[in-house]
Amino acid sequence: MTRLLERPLVHFGLAAATALVLPLVLRSGTLASEILIYGLAAAACNLLLGYTGLLSFGQGIFFGLGSYAAGLLLLRAGWPAVAMLPAVALVGAATAAGVGWLSIRRQGVYFVMLTLAFSQLFYFLSYTFSDLTGGDNGLLNVPRPRLGGQALADPWAYYAFVAVLFLALFAALQRVALSTFGRTLLAIRDNEARASAIGFPVRAFKVAAFAISGAVTALAGALHAMLIGVAPLSNIEYHTSETLLIMTIIGGAGNLFASVLGAAFYLVAGDLLSAIWPRWLLLLGALLVAIALFMQRGLWGLIERAAARLAREPRPDADASADATLPEESRP
Amino acid sequence: MTAASHTAEPALAADGLGVRYGSFVALKDVTLRVHANSVHAIIGPNGAGKTTLFHALTGRVRPASGRITLGGRDITRTRDDDRVRLGLARSFQVTSLFATLSVRENLRLAAQGRTPWAALAPWRRVPDRDAALDTADALLARLDLAGVAGRPAGELSHGQQRRLEVGMAMAARPRVILLDEPTSGMGTDDIGAMTDLIRDLGRDHTVLFIEHNMGIVMNISDTVTVMRAGEVLVEGRPAEVRDDPEVRRAYLGNMITGDLR
Repeated sequence: MTRLLERPLVHFGLAAATALVLPLVLRSGTLASEILIYGLAAAACNLLLGYTGLLSFGQGIFFGLGSYAAGLLLLRAGWPAVAMLPAVALVGAATAAGVGWLSIRRQGVYFVMLTLAFSQLFYFLSYTFSDLTGGDNGLLNVPRPRLGGQALADPWAYYAFVAVLFLALFAALQRVALSTFGRTLLAIRDNEARASAIGFPVRAFKVAAFAISGAVTALAGALHAMLIGVAPLSNIEYHTSETLLIMTIIGGAGNLFASVLGAAFYLVAGDLLSAIWPRWLLLLGALLVAIALFMQRGLWGLIERAAARLAREPRPDADASADATLPEESRP
Repeated sequence: MTAASHTAEPALAADGLGVRYGSFVALKDVTLRVHANSVHAIIGPNGAGKTTLFHALTGRVRPASGRITLGGRDITRTRDDDRVRLGLARSFQVTSLFATLSVRENLRLAAQGRTPWAALAPWRRVPDRDAALDTADALLARLDLAGVAGRPAGELSHGQQRRLEVGMAMAARPRVILLDEPTSGMGTDDIGAMTDLIRDLGRDHTVLFIEHNMGIVMNISDTVTVMRAGEVLVEGRPAEVRDDPEVRRAYLGNMITGDLR
C-alpha cells in the first residue's frame, strides 16, 4: 500500500481522478476550475520548495504576469488562446529565469528577502503602468477561449478546458520531477555544497527549476484571468505568493499531487468556512501552526501514515510488504 | 627532499598559494607537487591550513595569490564543479552526503557529476542502465555497501557513511582524488579497510589525503607534507619526515595518534 503511493502513475491517476470527481462533488464550476488552476500553480511552487529547497515568495509575480500577458495578448493583440498560451509560458519562464538568476546569488534568508523584494517590485510596476495593466481595476473583459466558434461561457465547459491543460501540465511536471534533472534537484535540496563538489553547476539547475516553475505558474495565471474575466492586480500581489506557498505546505512539500490536495483543501475550506464565518483565515492560521509543529509532511504525510497503518494490519505477508517499501534503487 | 627528484609533470601542483579569510591568513605561499600514481599525505596540527588547502585546490575558496595546475593545466580560476570534469574530486572531513537519498542514488549522482550538463535535460528519464549506474554498482560492491544500497544515506552507520563519503569522490573517476581525513571517527576495524582502500586508490589514481592517524600515513604514503600555521614545514618520504627533528619538536606527543612504525 505504501509502496503504491510512491508510484508516479498512481499520482497521475489521483490527479486525473480529482479532475473527474470535482464536477460530481462541487456545485460551482468556477470553484472546481480554481482548484485545478491553483493546484497547478502550487505544484509548480513545489518544484522549487519541495524538490529544490528554494522558499520563493516570487511565485505571485509569475502568476500575475501570466494573467496580464494573457489579457494583453487576447485583448490588445487579438491572439487566439492557442497562440497566447505558449507565449505566456515563455514570458513566465523568462521572467522566472531572470528573477531566479538574481535571487540565487544569495542563500537562506537573503534569498527569501530577494524574492520578496522582486515580488514588491513587480507589484508596484503593475500598479504604476496602469495603461497596460488597468492598475487597481485590473485588466477587464478578458475573454474565454473559443472552441468550435463558441466561447466557453459555461463554467463547466471552461472547466473541461482547464482540466485537459491541468492534466497535460501535471504530467509534464511529473516528467520533470522524475528526470535526471529532477533527481539532481533533490540532491541540491539535500546538500547543495556536495552537489557542487561532485560536479553539478548548481546555479544553472536552480535557474532551470525557476524557469519551469515560472512557465507553469504563468499558465495557471492565464487560465485564472480567463476564468474570472479579469487580470486583477491582486494576482501579482505578495498575497498570491503567500497563498501558493501555504497551499504547497498544507499539501506536503516534495510531492506534486500533494500540492493539488493542498490547493483543493485551501479553496474548499475557504468556500465553506467563509460562508459561516468571515474570519475563517484565522482557523487556517491555526492549522498552519499545527502543520508546522506536528505534521511537516502535510496532508499527504497523513495519507501516507494512514496507508502505512493499513499495510501493517496483521497479514501473513506483512514482513514481505515491509521489504517492498525499499526505494526502487535497491532492487536488482 | 626526494619529491624534487621526480622529473615528470606533477598530477597536481600548487605554486605560492595564499588564502585569506578577511584579515586572517589561512595559507601563505604554499608550494606542493603531487606526483601521478602516488599517495601523498598532508599532516599538521589543527589550524595548520590543511582543509583550507583542499578548499583552494578544489575551487571552493578563491586563492588570494598563487597558481594551481592539474596535469599541467592552469585551473586557478576554474569553478569547483568544472574541476570535477577535469579529473579532480574530493571527500569531506565532515561527512557530506545526500541524506534522504538512497546510497545507490548518492553514488549515481556522484558518477553523473562527470557529465552534469546531460543531467540538465528535464525531459530525459533516468535510464535503467547507464554508465553512471554501472559505476555506482561497482562502487557499492567495492565499498561493501551493496547490502544497504536502497537505504537513505542518512541512516547508515558512521563507518558506512565514511566509506560512502570516499566512494562519492571515487565515483567521478578522477585522476586526482583528495580525501580529507577519511578515517575520522572510525573504529579500528573500519580503519584497516579504509587504509587498504587508499593504498589501492594510489595505483589507478593519484591520492592526496589529510590524516591524523600517523600509522596510516607512515604505512601507505609515498610522500608526506607537514604543514604548520598555513605553511609547508617539511616535505619528504615518511621515514625522513618521521625523523626530522623539527617535526618531532613541533608535533610528537601533541597531535599524533596511532603507531609510529
